[in-house]
Amino acid sequence: MAAMDQPAVDLREPAGWRRSKNRIATSLMVLAFVFVLIPLGFVLFTVIAKGASAISWSFLTGGPIPPNVVPIGIGGMWPAIYGTLVITGLAAVIAVPLGVLGAIYVNEYGGRGALAQVVRFMSDVMTGVPSIVMGLFIFSIWVLHFGYSGLAGAFALACLMLPVVIRSSEEMLKLVPDPLREASYALGATKSRVTLTVVLPAAIGGIVSGALLAIARAAGETAPLLFTILTVTATNANVFKGANTALSTQIFTNATQPYLGAQARAWGAALTLIAIAFILMIVARLVTARFTRYSR
Amino acid sequence: MRLRYRQQVTAAGVSVVALALTLGACSSSSSSSPSGGSSASGGASSSSGGSNLSGTLNGSGSTFQLTFQQEAIAAFKSAQPNLTVNYGGGGSGKGRTDLAAGTVNFAGSDSPIPSDEASSFQGKTILYFPVIIGPITMAYNLSGVSNLKLSPATIAGIFSGKIKTWNDPAIKADNSGANLPSTAITLAVRSDSSGTTQNFTEFLVDATGSAWSLGSSSTIKWPSSARAASGNPGVAQVVKSTPGAIGYVDYSTAKASGLTFASVKNKDGSFIAPSPESATAAADAVALKPDLTFAAVWQGGANAYPITYQSWDLVNAKQPTAADAANLKAYLGYLLGDGQKLLPQIGLAPLPSSLDQKAVAQLDKITS
Amino acid sequence: MSTAAQADPAAPAGSASPLAHRRPLGDRVFQILAAAAGVLVLVILALIAISTSQQASSWFSTEGWKIFTVDWNPATNSFGAMSFVYGTVITAAIAIILSVPVSVAVALLLTEVVPQRWARPIVYVVDLLAVVPSVVWGLWGILVFAPWLFHIYTSIASGVKGIPVLDALFGQPVSGASFFTCGIILAFMITPIVTSLSREVFATVPAIDKEGAYALGATRLEMIRGAVWPHSQGGVVGAVLLGLGRAMGETIAAALVIGSSPVITSHLFAAGYDMPAVIANQFGEASGEFRAALIGLGVLLFVITIVVNLIARGVVERSARRKRGA
Repeated sequence: MAAMDQPAVDLREPAGWRRSKNRIATSLMVLAFVFVLIPLGFVLFTVIAKGASAISWSFLTGGPIPPNVVPIGIGGMWPAIYGTLVITGLAAVIAVPLGVLGAIYVNEYGGRGALAQVVRFMSDVMTGVPSIVMGLFIFSIWVLHFGYSGLAGAFALACLMLPVVIRSSEEMLKLVPDPLREASYALGATKSRVTLTVVLPAAIGGIVSGALLAIARAAGETAPLLFTILTVTATNANVFKGANTALSTQIFTNATQPYLGAQARAWGAALTLIAIAFILMIVARLVTARFTRYSR
Repeated sequence: MRLRYRQQVTAAGVSVVALALTLGACSSSSSSSPSGGSSASGGASSSSGGSNLSGTLNGSGSTFQLTFQQEAIAAFKSAQPNLTVNYGGGGSGKGRTDLAAGTVNFAGSDSPIPSDEASSFQGKTILYFPVIIGPITMAYNLSGVSNLKLSPATIAGIFSGKIKTWNDPAIKADNSGANLPSTAITLAVRSDSSGTTQNFTEFLVDATGSAWSLGSSSTIKWPSSARAASGNPGVAQVVKSTPGAIGYVDYSTAKASGLTFASVKNKDGSFIAPSPESATAAADAVALKPDLTFAAVWQGGANAYPITYQSWDLVNAKQPTAADAANLKAYLGYLLGDGQKLLPQIGLAPLPSSLDQKAVAQLDKITS
Repeated sequence: MSTAAQADPAAPAGSASPLAHRRPLGDRVFQILAAAAGVLVLVILALIAISTSQQASSWFSTEGWKIFTVDWNPATNSFGAMSFVYGTVITAAIAIILSVPVSVAVALLLTEVVPQRWARPIVYVVDLLAVVPSVVWGLWGILVFAPWLFHIYTSIASGVKGIPVLDALFGQPVSGASFFTCGIILAFMITPIVTSLSREVFATVPAIDKEGAYALGATRLEMIRGAVWPHSQGGVVGAVLLGLGRAMGETIAAALVIGSSPVITSHLFAAGYDMPAVIANQFGEASGEFRAALIGLGVLLFVITIVVNLIARGVVERSARRKRGA
């Protein structure tokens, strides 16, 4: 009789303090996410409320960029959209491969060696250089000799992106387990082959994450561009020669004007920039998910 | 499996490279815009009247000129469709630096080249072309008071923090009969360096002498209770949203923001309200130096507004190519001619005709 | 019997295989390329250091040790930088203190708590935070956020009046633009990067460690503490250092919301200034020694970043054990 009536094994979570701690921790994590949502919602609400009225097909595809005093509806922001796309794109093409290569060096070839340690440390230091100092740097090194151009702007943005890409890629490469590498070596692969075909694909998700964040930041930067691209009102298709403009600089110069047209254009440009960058990020993440070898 | 991955990566890499090359190729084959300061392409006729000039002119500098430059550039496009002008703003100091470095063809500056910058212009003759005149208003936010009058000494007291409330005896003395509340005064000032600050403080130095102790510069150490904001519109915004605030805002911004501004006592003793007319009156009476520099603040003249300032476009007298010289002459000539008609609608004052004529005559000094 | 390796005259004595002394050209080229990319960072940094120091030399030589005073007044030609150093350090500290717990918590949420299906949208939300341009943060900050915060500041300030330490920290708000507002905005800006990288790090914890912890009866929190955290420590620290770098170097947003008042004060709600902000605000009209001083601030920030990173690394190296893989 007694044996049949024994209570079933208690499979619930541990009782008492441990369980409460767990619950508190989980709710704190959810709370943290809410803390992230609130400012995001605020900002997006402001940008959409102020900028949505400016968006129209002619705003997105038309040009030239009209003077500040002109009300909304005349001209468009295409020169700035084009400028942002090509300058940021060029910066990404320069910074991302170099950054990933640098991270490969530091992690795969350098190890604990002195040069790798110095590169790692200096990359951290370089992330702290203010964007305006980068702009001034490129101004004195490049613009003084070759004039204002989209290329100079791309260099400035690439200098901003490079340390971020190196450090984040390096962290991701560090996380690839050693047995993977060892197994490849055991099969007779050379180091470059191991790195390119085994380690890199294993870390690609994280590397792309870091690169996307760096690119998103670069697309929104104003200060370095103020010293390197001047401004134009009509599209300058040649990114290597001649002054150019970008959405970020247009947002800044228009928002600091009292005219209603300029204000509307500024917020419209802000909304456009956020939308473009966000769409590109989603697309990049989706594309990467297809390439990721190891599922998360 | 591995082969397919490698092929995918190679394909992606090749396509990126191809895209980059295509972009570069087709963009360099289309509008080739040479960098500012170097030679302009295309046929340049010697007269500035023809509409067949081509090339690019780059300018940067004073943000006071920015609105005017934008309007003029847009309007100039119909006069010279193949001549592109770009004006980047960025501050008078930056403009002068750019001009000294040769990265721009002309620089906008609210003040003549200061002595500590003279060395970067060694060996070059710089021509000053005055282009606009504008008043700096004393914009305030005080309900019930619409016709505030201020004398320079009172302004100095307010902005140095000595006068703290609106019903201070000094303000009362300027405004006999007005009903001034006891609201505390909130100062609205510039957080960024600016030619507006420079000229406003120069006015205070000229008009009040030792009563103004904070000096005259593009950047001033204001009292710690002052609210700093970026740009004229930033200051306008602070004034508009803070009851009891007073700030110095240029006229076109003050008008566009719908602010109330005070009449200021001028050198002749009358309280004058800021307007394009009173600014032009101030410019009429300036002591003009041979290189066309002057200071329009605190000038005599019965109808002159005492806090008026000005901006020049600076160019090198000697241009690297004939095309550059012709293009500059055409654009500057436009600014001094038809461009002046654009000014009243943006709240700026046109140059007095005598000054304008002298500036136009100076155009001939641009050679190559 | 003799082995082929011992009899092979082409192989130097002692080598294990004929292949050991011949690395393919492609392999060597790749190594050189990678090394060159790494060295590129050093080259760029060296160029930045050299060119900025050159342009700032007149400030250093004219002011000498006076650069470490608080008095920054271009009208009287005095350029003391301490108030900006203070501002940079304080705002970065506030940003890190506010952002890191939140970011790590969200990253843990994404990897440990939330089912896979919901992880994707949450990642997109964090990405959305990352794509807001810095100038929009600054504009929103000064137009919307700062006025709203001003009310909160005044209530807090009147609430803590009289209490010794809190009064010194939280008194005297002038307007919404202050050290604290700047710190909050910077925290918003660095959260995406710390979250994203931490999440990647947490995601590579071997499942076997986690399952082992669960098998021993651990709660989720205990599993995180025991299995996830030791593995991810180094990576999270790396992410935080990246966030710190961004917080110290952010220019436009700081210039708009920090209040532009060069003072050193314990009051976090007072208007302040930091190095990138003053450079952005005052560079347009600067010339001569003023300009050299502004560029010199960049050099100073450089030095401070090196010091801060050294300290951070020292702290981390002492307490972390490096774990590579499993």
